[in-house]
Amino acid sequence: MSRTTHSMRAGAKDVSPIILGIIPFGLVTGAAVASAGFGLAEAAGMSLLVNAGASQLAATSLFIEGASLFVVIGTALIVNARMFIYATSIAPVISPTAGKLRPVLGHPLLDQTYAVTMTYGRHRDDVDVVWYFVGSWLCLASVWQVTNIVGVLAGSFIPAEWALDFTVPLVFLAMLAPTLKHRIDGETAVATAVAAAVLVPLLPLQTGLPAAIIIGMVWGAARDRANASGQVRE
Amino acid sequence: MLAAGTLLFRSIPIWLHGSVKTPAWLERLLRHVPAAALTALVVPGSLYTKANGAYQLAPTRTVAALAALLIALRTKNMIATLIAGMAVLWAGQALVALVS
Repeated sequence: MSRTTHSMRAGAKDVSPIILGIIPFGLVTGAAVASAGFGLAEAAGMSLLVNAGASQLAATSLFIEGASLFVVIGTALIVNARMFIYATSIAPVISPTAGKLRPVLGHPLLDQTYAVTMTYGRHRDDVDVVWYFVGSWLCLASVWQVTNIVGVLAGSFIPAEWALDFTVPLVFLAMLAPTLKHRIDGETAVATAVAAAVLVPLLPLQTGLPAAIIIGMVWGAARDRANASGQVRE
Repeated sequence: MLAAGTLLFRSIPIWLHGSVKTPAWLERLLRHVPAAALTALVVPGSLYTKANGAYQLAPTRTVAALAALLIALRTKNMIATLIAGMAVLWAGQALVALVS
């Protein structure tokens, strides 16, 4: 097996537990697209082009509520603004060895591919991190497409009482745990959690989410700085 | 438009990396993106459910998320975390249904 294939497989394998979390998400998004009056082709096209579940779901539900196109697109873009933060953060990891792939490497960037690449992939000596990243996306995108299509066709056959949507935060929680290595990481998480708890219900258009992320980052950076001028980290 | 805007958000930093030097303060901020972003994606869904656009506290989910957090910190295992979280949630829902 070539190193490229090995790297892509490793990425796909590491991202696969997350699939449990996106199955209900993909189904729900597909069902929402269908109830907005779109068909299979539109659902699949949106998934391929936009390639960001939360914004697809947000845009579709706003569309159903009859929001103007401006509000729909504006909201979805705000939801996706975190991609800019991810891209800035992942660039030092993937850009140097990307070569010809560099112009297209933005597209595979998602919450999940970012998380596995930053948490696991970049620390592995046996993989090319760029192909690891691409492999994790191919795996995720295929499942996303299939669940979208099933969602469009099957609608809402999964009973709401199963609460399978709860697997989405659980998946992110499981990814969070290994990132909490230092005391300051824990403080960053707590600061973000408090900010998110207050701001998400308060601020319109889901802007509470990026706001909470920025508050947590500023907290962490400020504490790093205080520590750098005094005692040692860890 | 949504597709183009999202693509630009994702791509510009990757395209520019190396030709523009990232300032130290930005690097210091970005080091904390994983912890902050993942926390922000966990918290709302663990505290609230959303019905008709209104946020309501969801104590069963919060308890389940705390149990899952313990397992996640202890095992660092995603499947174990998922099972623990869903098991506590379903048990909690059953209990609430029994009492009410």
